[in-house]
Amino acid sequence: MLVTPKNNIVIGIIIGLVVIASYNVDANPIDFVKGVPNLAIVVEEMLLVEPKYVPTAIWAMFETIQMAFIGTIIGFAIALPLSMLAARNLNSKFVYAPIRALLAAIRTFPSILWAILFVIMVGLGPFAGVLAIIMYTIGFVAKLQYEAIETIDSDPMDAVESIGVSKSQLIRYVVIPESSSHLLSQLLYMFDYNIRQTSILGLVGAGGIGFYIINYIKFFEYGKAAVFMLVVLVTVLIIDWVSVKIRDKYIIKSQHGMEVTTK
Amino acid sequence: MTQIQMIQNPSFSLISTKKIIQMNDVWTSYDSKNFALKGINISIDRGTNYAIIGQSGSGKSTLLKLMNGMMNPSKGTIKIDYVSPNMNNKKFKNMMHTIGYIPQSLGLVKNISVLENTLLGALPRLSKMQSLFKKFPEHEIKEAKRILNLVGLSGKEDRKAYMLSGGEKRRVAIARALMQKPTILLADEIVSELDHVTAHEIMDLVADAQKRMNLTAIMVHHDMQLALEYANRVAVIKEGQKILEIGVEGDTIVDFQTGDMTSDDIMEMYAGDTKK
Repeated sequence: MLVTPKNNIVIGIIIGLVVIASYNVDANPIDFVKGVPNLAIVVEEMLLVEPKYVPTAIWAMFETIQMAFIGTIIGFAIALPLSMLAARNLNSKFVYAPIRALLAAIRTFPSILWAILFVIMVGLGPFAGVLAIIMYTIGFVAKLQYEAIETIDSDPMDAVESIGVSKSQLIRYVVIPESSSHLLSQLLYMFDYNIRQTSILGLVGAGGIGFYIINYIKFFEYGKAAVFMLVVLVTVLIIDWVSVKIRDKYIIKSQHGMEVTTK
Repeated sequence: MTQIQMIQNPSFSLISTKKIIQMNDVWTSYDSKNFALKGINISIDRGTNYAIIGQSGSGKSTLLKLMNGMMNPSKGTIKIDYVSPNMNNKKFKNMMHTIGYIPQSLGLVKNISVLENTLLGALPRLSKMQSLFKKFPEHEIKEAKRILNLVGLSGKEDRKAYMLSGGEKRRVAIARALMQKPTILLADEIVSELDHVTAHEIMDLVADAQKRMNLTAIMVHHDMQLALEYANRVAVIKEGQKILEIGVEGDTIVDFQTGDMTSDDIMEMYAGDTKK
């Protein structure tokens, strides 16, 4: 970015707004510095890891992964047709506008609020968490999908449309293959994201590993909580590594027509 | 109505059945201010190879889009086999199944195979269930493989479109159009970026398919020599107007529009135009 008087004014305004907002929400750096010793106590206690809880943590993580998996797949399957209806290059305003409004409404609530709602509806446990993940995935992925669909090359669409095919054929044979690399990328991203999300849904009693973490923290048993947090960390790292491999093999290659080489 | 009366009736003359495309005083614009085409009159005989040449932005591609119903004229009439090309016209929508269109960018679906791209031409012949489950009948797959063999892509059926060279991509686009069993082929500068040898190979392919299937080919070109080599007639478009319509008869270039120009005049005029 060029350093011009206009840019300096913009940067000055942004800094000013950050300072005002920090004052309004009592974000005081001095309090942060004063609180560092408290963090040191927590970390010290966390280092007293209790390995006997590893099997329980792994089992809870397995439940979390299953919840995220079900939620991602079902949410994605529902989001796909909705995104086709929400894409401006495939539909008239009368179709895409209400669908976009519906998706925006779904997206308004974070997954934790959906989880509270479903806990009230179906009771405590993983099922409420799965429903929350489905809803969050629909709102979030459908937006990513219709934005990806709107950016696909219009030439293949024009060429196939000129054959006189139906709208469903156009979607099935051009739109989905043309956006497939984006869709796969979004599916992987969402699964990765949902595992982290599902890990905290236990806070409101919607199952998963978060249920254990929040309860051990409530009772100041940081050593036990650390075991569960470490399992989450290792799982996220493994999933991240698998995602990178899938992306390299199927996504980047198809987008650029080449193999990916790493240094 | 007796046979003599039918011939005397101008709305059903033997001469008119020869014409497959007729454009009368066609005007069109993209922004409702500047006209991309101004008063175009074109009449194309069934089974011929008709070339349209002109500089970039002269309105050549717009002409093709009007012929396949992707655009509508602001003024004037267009008839494709006596039907107005409009995507909302059900009769024309059915006709579109047999109008092969190859855009300048070729319009291949890059993430699917050569065979799948070719089979797109057979989509209108599939039932709803076949279409939904991507179940192409065996005879269609066999036909697609036969066409791919014809265009020199045998053995590359499973290759993804993004892996192909420029010449191969053009062959796939031609195969997709031929898979439609077309009566009309509209091709927009499909050889413009190719070397001389490959360009002639592609043009030979189209000429061969045209003879075999008796299809009418309307091809947009940049190169006058190439157009005269393959086409029965060549229309020269400049700034949205047809300034010339010529053809080759024996060793001479004939001016079909005014009849006033000699071969030297025409070549000199076109050379002057392209230099600009």
